[in-house]
Amino acid sequence: MRIRCPYCGERDNGEFSYLGDAAPVRPDGMEASPQAMHDYVYLRDNRAGEIRELWYHGAGCRAWLVVTRDTRTHTVADVQPARDVAKARAVTPAGSASHA
Amino acid sequence: MAEHATLWRPRGAWDLYAHAGRHGRSEGPAGVTATPREGLALMSVTAVDGAEERLAAALRDRFGLSLPEPGGALFSGETGLIWSGPGQWLALAPTRGDLDGFGETLKGLAAVADQSDGRAVLRLSGPDARRVLEKGVSVDLHPRAFGPGHTAVTAVAHIGVQLWQRDDAPTYEIAVARSFAGSLWSWLEEAAAEFGCEVRVA
Repeated sequence: MRIRCPYCGERDNGEFSYLGDAAPVRPDGMEASPQAMHDYVYLRDNRAGEIRELWYHGAGCRAWLVVTRDTRTHTVADVQPARDVAKARAVTPAGSASHA
Repeated sequence: MAEHATLWRPRGAWDLYAHAGRHGRSEGPAGVTATPREGLALMSVTAVDGAEERLAAALRDRFGLSLPEPGGALFSGETGLIWSGPGQWLALAPTRGDLDGFGETLKGLAAVADQSDGRAVLRLSGPDARRVLEKGVSVDLHPRAFGPGHTAVTAVAHIGVQLWQRDDAPTYEIAVARSFAGSLWSWLEEAAAEFGCEVRVA
């Protein structure tokens, strides 16, 4: 499996380390209920199909990436810098900026 | 004041490993020439968020070079700017001390750290230099994909390296954390043996 790093180009997956699902967003720690925290830490879908997940290009540019991968075929459909994804998420759907 | 006798003396990063002369295959011309690059000035430059344009202007003033795009390296003689990660570059100059005060120059624009003693840099050139490097990296170094002015941050034999190409002789330079110089050298010795390797030590 190869991953096309948006900075470095196509690289062997041995240059990357895997974190997991990119979807969960950490609840605001002091306000979060134990249930919300439990769900954030432990609950994951185990999808057969496309998943967005976090990879770290440790042996390359040291950037965190959001990789869209099909778990059945390992086909990588998209790779984006995690920084850009996080910045886009910091803007609420209504268009108003939330706290960074 | 009398000089104090001391056992401490500066030692080049490759001194223990790179022995001048012909190594590996001895027939015919050497396929690859390895030259330790000692005494360079090397700084890592990490842009302050949002200051990239002002940083680019400051570096243009200083070197007459623009800030390279991802995967790019720009040189003016022996001085260069080499991309090394998102918002990160290496500044390279031929003589230790050339970049003294660089952090002050870029104050507020970038975090600057002196890597002159932290990285060991080796120059590899000759007709088989590419074939030697290709045995170590999973990056396409063929001229259709990689040429002068290109850089890659990757690993050779599990050792983190950054390499860049200077010209299409081809001449490459490879930088490694100094404490890994010996390990990289033992890989290089084996990888270059079949082509014949001339080691030049200044």
